[in-house]
Amino acid sequence: MSDHAVGTPSFERPAWLGMLEPLGPLVAAFVVAGLVLLAAGHNPLEVYMLLATEAFGSSRRIAATLSAATPLILTGLATAVAFRAGAFNVGVEGCIFVGGLAAAYVGFTFAGLPAALLLPFALVAAVVVGSLWMLVPGLLKARLDVDEVVTTLMLNFIAISLTAWLVNGPLLAPGSANSATPMIAEAARLPKLMPPSTLNAGFLIAIALLGLYALWGNRTALGFETRIAGMNPRFATASGIDVPMLVIKMMLLSGAIGGLAGGIHALGNVGRFVAGFSPGYGFTGIAVALLGRGSALGIFLAALLFGALANAGATIQFFSDVPIEIVDILQGTVMVFAVAQLGRLIVRRRKAA
Amino acid sequence: MQLAETTPDRTVRLGAQGVTRRFGPVLANDAIDFRALRGTVHAIVGGNGAGKSTLMRILQGVDRPDSGVILLDGAPAIFAGPADAFARGVGMVHQEFMLAPGLTLLENLVLAAEPVDGFGRIDRTAALAKARALEALAGVSLDWDTPVENAPVHVRQIVEILRLLYRGADVLILDEPTAVLAPAQVRELIALLRKLRDEGRTILFISHKLDEVLAVADEITVIRNGRVVASLPRSSASRDSLAEMMIGEVLARPQPRAAAAGAPMLQVTGLSARDLRGHAALTKFDLTVRAGEIVGIAGVAGNGQDEIVAAATGLGRIDAGSIRLDGIEIAGLTLAQRRSLGLAYLSPDRAAEGLCLAAPIAENAIAGHHRKPELCSHGVLRRKAIARHVAALLDRYSVKRASDRQPAGSLSGGNQQRVAVARELDGEPKLLVACQPTRGVDIRGIDFIHRCLIDYRDRGGAVLLVSEELEELVTLSDRIVVVYGGRITGEVARGTAGLEEIGRLMLGGKAA
Repeated sequence: MSDHAVGTPSFERPAWLGMLEPLGPLVAAFVVAGLVLLAAGHNPLEVYMLLATEAFGSSRRIAATLSAATPLILTGLATAVAFRAGAFNVGVEGCIFVGGLAAAYVGFTFAGLPAALLLPFALVAAVVVGSLWMLVPGLLKARLDVDEVVTTLMLNFIAISLTAWLVNGPLLAPGSANSATPMIAEAARLPKLMPPSTLNAGFLIAIALLGLYALWGNRTALGFETRIAGMNPRFATASGIDVPMLVIKMMLLSGAIGGLAGGIHALGNVGRFVAGFSPGYGFTGIAVALLGRGSALGIFLAALLFGALANAGATIQFFSDVPIEIVDILQGTVMVFAVAQLGRLIVRRRKAA
Repeated sequence: MQLAETTPDRTVRLGAQGVTRRFGPVLANDAIDFRALRGTVHAIVGGNGAGKSTLMRILQGVDRPDSGVILLDGAPAIFAGPADAFARGVGMVHQEFMLAPGLTLLENLVLAAEPVDGFGRIDRTAALAKARALEALAGVSLDWDTPVENAPVHVRQIVEILRLLYRGADVLILDEPTAVLAPAQVRELIALLRKLRDEGRTILFISHKLDEVLAVADEITVIRNGRVVASLPRSSASRDSLAEMMIGEVLARPQPRAAAAGAPMLQVTGLSARDLRGHAALTKFDLTVRAGEIVGIAGVAGNGQDEIVAAATGLGRIDAGSIRLDGIEIAGLTLAQRRSLGLAYLSPDRAAEGLCLAAPIAENAIAGHHRKPELCSHGVLRRKAIARHVAALLDRYSVKRASDRQPAGSLSGGNQQRVAVARELDGEPKLLVACQPTRGVDIRGIDFIHRCLIDYRDRGGAVLLVSEELEELVTLSDRIVVVYGGRITGEVARGTAGLEEIGRLMLGGKAA
C-alpha cells in the first residue's frame, strides 16, 4: 500500500550519501561555533587551524590525542553494545567509577604479584565489577520493563558517591588528605607505548575490542540476534529469539566494557583512584556511539574527534587568547546535532514499522 | 475528455486529471484521470502497488503530483496540505484508525474542534447534542462515554466517519475500510455509506475486495501499475471482468483436493486462557490438526482466535490445558523451543511482527533459521551459504526484488508476505500456524500464497489457519472450526456448508 511512499526513497539513496550523513552534525557544529568565535572577535579559521595543529601537529600531539580518545572508544563501545539490543544505557559513567576503583584496589592491595598476574587480575576485577553494576538495571528492564534510562542514570550518582565515600574512608591512602587511594604497584601499570606520552597499552586493548565488536556484529549469530532485537523486538520474539535474555546479556557486556574503561584509566593514566575520577567519559561515550552510528569505524572516528578536541582544548589557551570554553561549546554542539539526527532516525524507523 | 479551462463541470465533486507521481524509478501514478460525481460512491480498485495509496495521499494533500491537477467541484486545484483538503470538505478514514487512546468516543469525535463554554471548558452537553444528531443522520446508536480502547473495531470506524462529518467533510475517502470487519459489519458499513451518499455526500471507496466494491459502488475506476485501466459504471462491471482488469489476466481458482489426514500434529485439550484484559477467553477448548490437513478457525475477531494462536505458539500464557506438537507436550516451552520441534508461525501483523521492515530481505528470510548448522557454525554465520540459501529461497517464492540486501520495507505488501511465507515454510515444519496469511495482499499474491499452503498440506504438512476472510477459509480449509465467545459453535467439513451457515455459527448460533 504505502510501501512505495515510505520505503523506497531511503533504499534508493546512494551508499556514499549514507556514509556522509554523520558528517552533518559536525559541519553544523563547526559553523555554529564559528559564529560564536566571530561574535567574540576571533577568526574561526585561524582557531580551527590551531586546534588541528594542537591535535595532530606532531607525533607527540597525535599520541596525546590517541591517549585522550582511548577511554572514549571504550565508553562509546559500551553504549553502542547496549544500544544495539535496544537498551539505552546512560550508566557507563558509573561503571567507569566502580571499575576504576576495583582495578586500583587490586593494583595496590596485591602489590606482591608479578605483572603477568597482577595486571590481568586488576583488569578482570574492573570488568566483573562494571558488569555487575549493570545487572540490576538489566534485570529490571528485561523482566519488569523498567525504563533503563532512569535506572542507569540514577546508578551513576550512586556509583560516583559510593566510590567518593570509599576513598575518603576505608580506602583512603594512609597519611593522605586527598580523596584518593594509595598508588598502584608498578607491576599493575599498563605499559606506555611512547614515553613520555601517556599513551599506553589500553589504547591497543580498545582497538582490539573495536575489531572484535565489528566481527561480532557482522559475522556472529549473537550479533545478528542483537541487531534484530534492537530493531524490532516483537519480530525477534516471534522468530524465537529470547529478547529479555539478550537485553540482560548486552547490559552486562556494556557494563563490562564500561568497567574496563575505568580500569584502563586507573592503571594506565591516573595510577590510583581519586574522587572525580572521570571527567564525564561515560557521557561523552553516548555522543561517540550516536555519532559513530554503532559501527566500529564510526565509533573510532567519533572518539578520535572528541579526543582531539579535549587534547587540543587543554593547550590552545596557552598559545592564543581563545577561551578554553570554545572547545566545550564545540563538543556540546556536536552532541546536540548528533542527538537531533538520532531523533530523526528514530522517527523514520517508527514510520517504517 | 473535456478541458478544464472551459466552464467547470460542477457535478464532479472530486477528481484527478493527468496526475503523475514518480518515486525514483517507480512511476507510482501515471497520468491518472477519474471523476467522482457528487452524491455517488466511486470505487477505486487495484492490487498492491497499483498506485492507490499514492493517489489517496495526493487527493488528501499529503503528497503533491509531479504533474497534473486535482479536480475540485470540476475546477483544477492543488491542496496545500491535509488541513487545506479538509477545509475544502475532503476527509479521509485511514486504514489504521487515527483515534486518540485514553479518550472517550465523544472526546474523539470533537477532538481539535471542541465546543467550548465561556471559560474555555469543553461543553459536554453541546458535544453530546451534536453527537446525537450525527448518530441519527447515520442511523446508528453508540455509547459515547466508552473509552476508545474498549470500543469494538467497527464502532471505532463509525466514529472515524462521524468525525469527518462533524468537521464538515462532504467527501469521504475510505482506504480499505472493510479489512478489519466481519461480514455482518461489512453489510452495516455498506448500508451507512449508501445512506450518506443518498444525502448528497461523495464517497471514494478504495479497495481490492471486488465483492464489496460491487456491492457499494456506483462507479468503478480500476488502476493497474499506476495507470487507469478502466472507468465504468457498476452496471457494466462483473467480478471476473474487474479481476481481469486488475491483474491483466484471468487466474484459475485453486482447486484444493482433500488429502488423507495423517497423525495428529497439534493436539489441544482442555485449554483455558485469558485475554489481555484478564477476562476468560477460552474455557476447556479442544482442537486437533492432523498431518496433511488444513483446519480453519472462523469467528468474528476477538472470540478466542488470538488466544488459540498465542497458546499454540507460546507467545501468550495459558491457565490450564495440554498442547502437544507431534505427540510432544509443548505447553511449558518457549517459542524458540517449539520452533526447533517443528512449529512455524506466520504472524497476522506483517509490519510489526512478521517482518523486520528496516532490516534487509536476506536477514528477514533467515531469522529463526540462522542457527541451523548449514547457515551457522560455532556461532559464526556462514555468509556465503546464507547468501546462496536466501537467493534460492526467494527465487522459489518469486519475490520481486532488486537486491537481497534491500530493506524488507521497500517491497510491496504482497512481496513482503511472500518473504514471510518463504521463511516459515523453509525447512518443512510439522505444523504451520498461519494467521491472516493474505491480509493486505493483492489477488495474484493471494493466489500464490494459497497455492503454497495447499502444496505444503499435500506434502503432509499440518496447517492451523486463522483468517477473517471467510472465502479464504472456505477455499483452503479441509475442516472449519467456528468459534464464538471462546467456545466451538460448530465444525464444518469441506463443502458441507455455505457462507451463510458459517456466518450464523460465527454469531453464536448452534450447528443445525
